[in-house]
Amino acid sequence: MTDKEYNDCVDNFADGVYRFIVKNIRHTEDAQDIVQSAFEKLWVNRVQVLPEKAKSYLFTVAYHQMIDHIRKSNKMPLSEDTFIPHQPINQEQAELKQLLMRAVNQLNPTQKSLVLLKDYEGYSYQEIAEIMNLSDSQVKVYLHRARLILKNKLSAYAPTAS
Amino acid sequence: MQLNESTYETFFLLYIDNELSPKERLEVEAFIADNPSYALEMEALKATILSAENIPYAFKENLKQQAQETSLDELEGDLEEDWDATYATILKEDVQAIPGLSTSFKNTLKKETVSEGILIKPFSFNQHKFTYAAIAACLMVFVGYQQLTKYQLSDSPVSNSSAFNSIAANSNKVLVPNVSTESTGSDATVISISNKQQLASNFEPISKTKQARIKLRASKSSNRRSSFKFQDEAIAIAEPTRSNGILNNQAIVTKFPSTYNNPLTIDAIPLSINSSNVDAESTIEEIAATSYEVIDIEDPNRTIFIANFEIDGNKFRGLKRKVTSLFKNNKSDRNK
Repeated sequence: MTDKEYNDCVDNFADGVYRFIVKNIRHTEDAQDIVQSAFEKLWVNRVQVLPEKAKSYLFTVAYHQMIDHIRKSNKMPLSEDTFIPHQPINQEQAELKQLLMRAVNQLNPTQKSLVLLKDYEGYSYQEIAEIMNLSDSQVKVYLHRARLILKNKLSAYAPTAS
Repeated sequence: MQLNESTYETFFLLYIDNELSPKERLEVEAFIADNPSYALEMEALKATILSAENIPYAFKENLKQQAQETSLDELEGDLEEDWDATYATILKEDVQAIPGLSTSFKNTLKKETVSEGILIKPFSFNQHKFTYAAIAACLMVFVGYQQLTKYQLSDSPVSNSSAFNSIAANSNKVLVPNVSTESTGSDATVISISNKQQLASNFEPISKTKQARIKLRASKSSNRRSSFKFQDEAIAIAEPTRSNGILNNQAIVTKFPSTYNNPLTIDAIPLSINSSNVDAESTIEEIAATSYEVIDIEDPNRTIFIANFEIDGNKFRGLKRKVTSLFKNNKSDRNK
């Protein structure tokens, strides 16, 4: 990977990596640090990393650093059982989005990362499996469970919202 | 897997995750069209998809700056290559065009180049070479230590085969029991030169071939282990001389067996000083009783003291560390 290709990676993938991390840990400074560390690692290993694999490499590094960060700081999200619907929100689109994010935040870190990588980055099951060091079938099962959890939470909330 | 009422959920999830083939997607859409009640289910699942959200990372330039700073060296290298090319062009075009310059002078202006044929690959001290070097060094140290130990043993008066041979060769003159000229008051027997010829006829010498393979082990009769050295003065028991009518060179031999058996134990008192200048009686008073044990190493039941193997830890610490790091490096290479 040349310097120009590295700079292209910064332009193209920094936002996505940052969004993925900040949505997971919900802490901007820590997310910035993780992004910086991921790109630093990419720069150090730029000779070995192919340009077409740079995005996957960045997300893989950032994901594992995020897991380490979560373990160190114990900033684990609330469990599903503690999810309590808040006051009904009138502005439907924004409220549904906010509600969905709130539901996503109730997922466990693995399911949350799966949903974010799938929806935000559009990765395939195989690519997600490589990033998160899981099997394809695990990705499929975990993601489907996460979808059903989100659907149930949204459907449970929808009558109240309406 | 067929799409039906029991498997629709899986197909719907794969559908919204865009993991179905175009044909399967059409099948799902046809299924929903045929069963409108499942449309709500599909909509509920689609609602779980997060919409695109732009969250910019504010420090992109900082990340880029790192690359620009680090690549300065490479830029300098590129500039140097450009200058070489420019210089070559100038030489080729401009200098050749200058009238009055000789060809030899023009050739001296050409930048020296190295042909590919004489490029020498730089020596790299890789792991394999280091491994061989380390093994060779260990072998050299081991062999050298063995040689040194052997040399020291051969120099030792106790185990010196030549010294022993001297004793053994002369022992037929001296080490004969039951023939005495002077008594020390104990069970020891003093053998003098006057009985030399007579004693020689009564003693059965140890064969030469066996002598060469015999080592002496000395210890004091007080049972205390000591580093007794069989010195030349002691060997002199085989070379007795007379001075002022007194036998100077003499040895006290005690408990000497009449026949040779392995192991042959000789309890004797060696003369520790030069007997040529010392009176025999005073010499006997000064010396300590010492026992010698002759061990035949051909005996299968023998006990052999080869050497005390001592290693200076300080000297070998560096070598040990290098060998340890070598195996660690090899392990890390295998892991890579």
